[in-house]
Amino acid sequence: MRKIIMVLMATVVASQPALAAEIGRIKRSVGMAAIERGKEKVPTAPGVQLQSGDVLVTGKDGQISLTFIDDTRFAVGPNSRVALTRYDYDRTRQTGTFETSVNRGSLAVVSGQIAKSGKDAMKVRTPTSLLGVRGTRFIVEVGK
Amino acid sequence: MKLRRLLPVCGLALLAGCATNHLVLLPSENGAHGAVAVLDEKGGETVVSQTDSRTSIGGGKPTTRAYAASPAERGLIDSLPPPPIRLTLYFKEGTTQLTPESLPSLEYLRAQVRSRPGVEAQVTGYTDTLGSDDDNDRLSQRRAEEVLDALAGEGIDRKLMTAVGRGERSLRVQTADGVREAANRRVEVTVR
Repeated sequence: MRKIIMVLMATVVASQPALAAEIGRIKRSVGMAAIERGKEKVPTAPGVQLQSGDVLVTGKDGQISLTFIDDTRFAVGPNSRVALTRYDYDRTRQTGTFETSVNRGSLAVVSGQIAKSGKDAMKVRTPTSLLGVRGTRFIVEVGK
Repeated sequence: MKLRRLLPVCGLALLAGCATNHLVLLPSENGAHGAVAVLDEKGGETVVSQTDSRTSIGGGKPTTRAYAASPAERGLIDSLPPPPIRLTLYFKEGTTQLTPESLPSLEYLRAQVRSRPGVEAQVTGYTDTLGSDDDNDRLSQRRAEEVLDALAGEGIDRKLMTAVGRGERSLRVQTADGVREAANRRVEVTVR
């Protein structure tokens, strides 16, 4: 019996990547832009669904706009590298946690339900700082 | 400790590099009060709440100055997606037919679906408390599907949208069981 349960659990774990939940969608993509998903490179186009852990990368003429399922909105500027490190959202309760890392470049943000759901439920990390988002519109810039 | 050791290096050798990490705080779209806190490793924080300001976040003590966004920053802000829309549509009793008053709202939603690339639509249906729970679960699901079909008619892949029926759970107006209530016969639509 225990063996069966363990096999079942292993199956659930193994099948998770394919079932990874949508956390948001690309709305617009300009110039050189891509999503890094593990070892994969996913092309950006309107409607492409994002997953927790995706990394958004743009070249010198690139820009990506996206909206998350909690209504948070991003615009990634040129020459940027932005990791959607962790995203958890309960659509029914409208609560969750969201951590983004701006490793390079610029990111414009309008926060959504997650930022409202708890103090510093939304965080933005840069190589030199950690920001707690208390609900607003802002830009983070990280130089080379 | 680490931060303190890094600081002099930033100040002398990497003036340009360290000085380029910034937080630009803008007024919120709806005029609501907003803020961003710069958190430090010891659990302390510096709260930035002055809008149209720029704060250095290069690792030292954050300093905030009044600031007008540059053209590049303006451009980035302008490329943010439009705010999501949330609307409620109402139905005639026991049917999946919209009330005449809700028809313009449906037209507005269709126009929004058309004009938003990469659109996501979420439709949740509800009923009043008249009739059985099972019937109401089915009716609310059909209401949601009906509206979703109308939106999908704008050439959007139905797979990119979701319809959920919640029956008589989450009443908009609280009533006893078996009560006709127009405000509860509805779907709530989110278009992102």
